[in-house]
Amino acid sequence: MTTHTSASQRVLVLRCPQWLDTADDGQERDSEQEEDSAAAARAFEPVVGVVAEFCPQVEVLRPGVCAIPTRGPARYFGGEAELAAKLAEAVCGAGFTCQAGVADGLFAAGLAARTGPTGMLVPAGEAREFLAGFPVGVLGLPELCELLPRLGIETLGQLASLPLAEAASRFGADGKLASRLARGLDPRPLIPRTPAADLSVQMEFDPPAEQSEPVIFAAKALADAMHDRLTAGGLACVRVQVAVRCSDGHEFSRLWRHDGLLSALAVAERVRWQLDGWQRDSNPSTAGITLLRLTPDQLVRATGRQLALWGDSVISDRVARAAMRVQALLGHDRAVRPSLAGGRRPADEVLLVPFGDAGEPLRPVDRPWPGRLPAPAPATVYPAPLAASVTDESGVTVSVSGRAELSAPPAWLATAGRPARAVASWAGPWPITEQWWDPRYVRRQARLQLITDDGNAWLAALQDGRWLIEASYD
Amino acid sequence: MGTGGAQLISLSPVRHRDDVLTGEGLLPVLPALRGLLPGGSLQRGSVVTAGSWGLLALALTAGAVADGAWCAVVGVPAIGVRAAVEAGLDLDRVLLVSEPGTSWPQVVASLLDGFDIVLLRPPDQPSAQLRRKLEAVARRHGSVLVVAGDWPGAQSRLLVTDTQWIGIGAGHGRLRARKAHVMASGRGAGERPRSAWLWLPGPDGSITTAGLADLGGTYLDDTERLASSG
Repeated sequence: MTTHTSASQRVLVLRCPQWLDTADDGQERDSEQEEDSAAAARAFEPVVGVVAEFCPQVEVLRPGVCAIPTRGPARYFGGEAELAAKLAEAVCGAGFTCQAGVADGLFAAGLAARTGPTGMLVPAGEAREFLAGFPVGVLGLPELCELLPRLGIETLGQLASLPLAEAASRFGADGKLASRLARGLDPRPLIPRTPAADLSVQMEFDPPAEQSEPVIFAAKALADAMHDRLTAGGLACVRVQVAVRCSDGHEFSRLWRHDGLLSALAVAERVRWQLDGWQRDSNPSTAGITLLRLTPDQLVRATGRQLALWGDSVISDRVARAAMRVQALLGHDRAVRPSLAGGRRPADEVLLVPFGDAGEPLRPVDRPWPGRLPAPAPATVYPAPLAASVTDESGVTVSVSGRAELSAPPAWLATAGRPARAVASWAGPWPITEQWWDPRYVRRQARLQLITDDGNAWLAALQDGRWLIEASYD
Repeated sequence: MGTGGAQLISLSPVRHRDDVLTGEGLLPVLPALRGLLPGGSLQRGSVVTAGSWGLLALALTAGAVADGAWCAVVGVPAIGVRAAVEAGLDLDRVLLVSEPGTSWPQVVASLLDGFDIVLLRPPDQPSAQLRRKLEAVARRHGSVLVVAGDWPGAQSRLLVTDTQWIGIGAGHGRLRARKAHVMASGRGAGERPRSAWLWLPGPDGSITTAGLADLGGTYLDDTERLASSG
């Protein structure tokens, strides 16, 4: 936050209305629209090319809108107004209509570009005043923009007059972001897009890959390489563009948002989805794949969290390939990595995360879980407990009183479908009440450990009058 | 056992794999198990059986996984994950494929190329032909197939033959530890059956050798000793 509160960088935003006639509200597009926007992004490239001649550090915000920092080029062209005029002239000369806005920060510059037929220049330090008259709807935060007017906050000026901390505590992360924007502060520093080819990684397949598996595997290595390049620059990216070229010349690409949560393996997984979808949709042509390219899209400063999640996979290629082959065979969620979570029942103690995904335990392990089984732990824990019967000498089902006393010593244990075995020794009962505060989930149990005459040890539980085998110690 | 000496194949030298353990084609095992296996370790490219599913099968993989090897567990939806941790497995290098379905041989073959150890409980009894195929895959990739079940071609067979729980009586105490007598037999020439008493598991879930003092104790002595120490 400290870096962001300093004066915002001067930014020029150039927008071409012909790309924006459908959804020109400055808001993020839905993921469904991303394929369209990928095509639009390609069509927008000539404009980006023109702008790049003025300043190579172009950031494409979305198809039809791009931004450059003005500091260097404005000095060269003799001022921001001159720069904007020259730029607009060049873009118009290439056959596109455009508007240009200059202001402190990307948000204000974007609105400045939309003001008037050709855009406007907001002098340094006046962004807040410029923004004050806009309705809160321009923030592009749908939930907040619905809420604020009901509270009497109609304009950015009114929002900016609320203390920042208050906006953050009342409206959460969105409120903080909105409050920053209304003050003319940038939510994130603009990271110039030097030609993104610098950071993209690609692999050619010769002969063309007929199967998707080698491509998916290559994607994992490529994602690792891309991550390394980004990390070296202290960067992370919000989206990854996956482009695949076929031997018949056809090229298709798709943008995948990852918000810093996808591991290299997860990127590979998305390549698989893309290939699957493509092979399903188009005719399963015999064309092999000749090129795979990953391009980081929308760069942001890397945070520790992103780095940790991207970089934590010290999984060797052989292991990853084997695991992904199994996932390709059985399904993504059928090859999982286990970890321990908190819980009282043995089956609740385990969290299973599909290989390649990041996951955190929902229930902390380190918290004491009263009623958790003491060591040693059972080697077999039934995901669904087995129906059983625990009976006394006279064949009557053993019950447990409210004071945790057995009706009679257990003498026989029969698990579903097997003959009863004599109980050689036993211990318990131990009462357990789980989630007693919520009647929907409340679970009262009494547990017994039983050893049958064949030497097997069992963990039995009485719940709602029925005996279940939860685990065995074999 | 019944497949005959004609199927005996000497272990081919294991290729160097730069991304996994390299130690001369051997994977370490827990100290308590060393005396039960030829060479005191798991030989890459071999098949080892551990009787039916249980802690012994997990214990066989624990030493190598703790040492950096990767292990895939196939066909055991009811694996006790905490027991695996207590036995010494590092979950960071464990993959579970609980329901491999009918294509399990393909799954196992895929995993043998990549994972150092595949711990398998076969969903159905594999044919001799299929067993030989998977044995060949393990040899080719220098991985170890640990089978919780029957596998006539296995190089080593471990089996719990006697078991005694400690700490529990008629309505008092609780399960604290198990002494297990483990018999090992091999198919190599000159392999004599070996056996050992193990804590499988000990009071903290770990697997160690049950010493002479432990063997000499009576049931009640053990109960009292463990109860007082616990």
